[in-house]
Amino acid sequence: MPADARMQDSNPFVEIATHLFLEDLSGKVGVSGLNNYLVSLAKNLATAMPQEEYASWPEFLAALRDGQSILSTFEEVRPVTDRCMSTLRSPFERGWREYAKRVGVFAPVHREVAEYYNHKVRPAAVTSVHIVLHTFREAAAARIHVGSQGVHYEPVAAAWVDGTVQVPEGPKLESLLKRAGISRTRLGMLLRNHSDVWLLEPV
Amino acid sequence: MIDVALASLIEDMIQKAGADGVVEFWQRVGDNLASRMGKEAYLGWTSFNVAVREGRTAFSIEGDVTPLTDMAITDVDGDVVGYLYAMRQCCYVPTIFRTRFAVGRMSPADKAVTDEYNENVHNIAVCNFCVFHERFREEIAKNVTVSGNPLACFLLATRGWSGEAKISSKNVVQVNINEDHVRALLRNYECVYALVLRGGRIKGER
Repeated sequence: MPADARMQDSNPFVEIATHLFLEDLSGKVGVSGLNNYLVSLAKNLATAMPQEEYASWPEFLAALRDGQSILSTFEEVRPVTDRCMSTLRSPFERGWREYAKRVGVFAPVHREVAEYYNHKVRPAAVTSVHIVLHTFREAAAARIHVGSQGVHYEPVAAAWVDGTVQVPEGPKLESLLKRAGISRTRLGMLLRNHSDVWLLEPV
Repeated sequence: MIDVALASLIEDMIQKAGADGVVEFWQRVGDNLASRMGKEAYLGWTSFNVAVREGRTAFSIEGDVTPLTDMAITDVDGDVVGYLYAMRQCCYVPTIFRTRFAVGRMSPADKAVTDEYNENVHNIAVCNFCVFHERFREEIAKNVTVSGNPLACFLLATRGWSGEAKISSKNVVQVNINEDHVRALLRNYECVYALVLRGGRIKGER
């Protein structure tokens, strides 16, 4: 949960309604159109948030850890190394659980749009909300300056509530792990009980 | 997170479909969600009200609902045909606070959709989410039977997070409840609605 006590926990009913909204939207605009909407809403959300500046990378890491950065507004961020970040629990978990309990099986379109995103953008999504999460982090990171440098985001791996994991393959993964400063074994250890592993680095 | 992002989606949607288009979208989403919730049946009002209190009905997806069992609605024969129900907190308020402390301010898109609904559909909304869940409750009510009769839902009053209160004159008359009684409830509750047996001949109904 975010460190700011005034920031309440998620609102599952509104999340369910939003998922239904997205499902309805996909009926009108198709999977590619839904992908565009998800990307756009995540960018709009990040753009609506204030820019940030930090004097040094350790100060930035402390803000992430303490929930003071826009990147840690919706999730509890745990730095694993200077560059590698992890999220313990997906910010969408509660909404998804409530959806499964009250409505039923998640509509297939959420996976379909993730597959579209994996094919067209980057192989990092298990379901629709990951498109929002990755795009938001990327756009939010672009609003942060550490010293005179910008911040660049890249997803390393995402694990969904049901255990499905999305990890890039081959050289792409090796490059990400090297830049993040973790081994493949360490990644496997993190994915056992973390929802996301991601990379932040100076531009 | 997706609840906070909703306002950004609505901003986008307003640009593409207008505020009236978003109202239509929200209403359709209310229909869709209700249709996926399935049917429920209760032997009588007592068992239904216990289920509401314990959070077992489809209405409970919105959060904690209090059946106001001292405020029964009767028909022309004096039989109970419904009750008032109330939520202490509007189900959108947590998202409003999350948006306030995540983004810094609420999106103007929220007000645009609210105003559109109030001007052209029903002057009862205090936020964009009212558009969705008024329809959602109306549709849910059709799928719930008490003593074999399906229900009808009438949204009576709402109070927004800034304190603005709205009472539906149209619906208050439908269920024959004094407007002052409803206003008094808004001191403790942020959303008040009535559930009545569909087709019941309510005493004093005009």
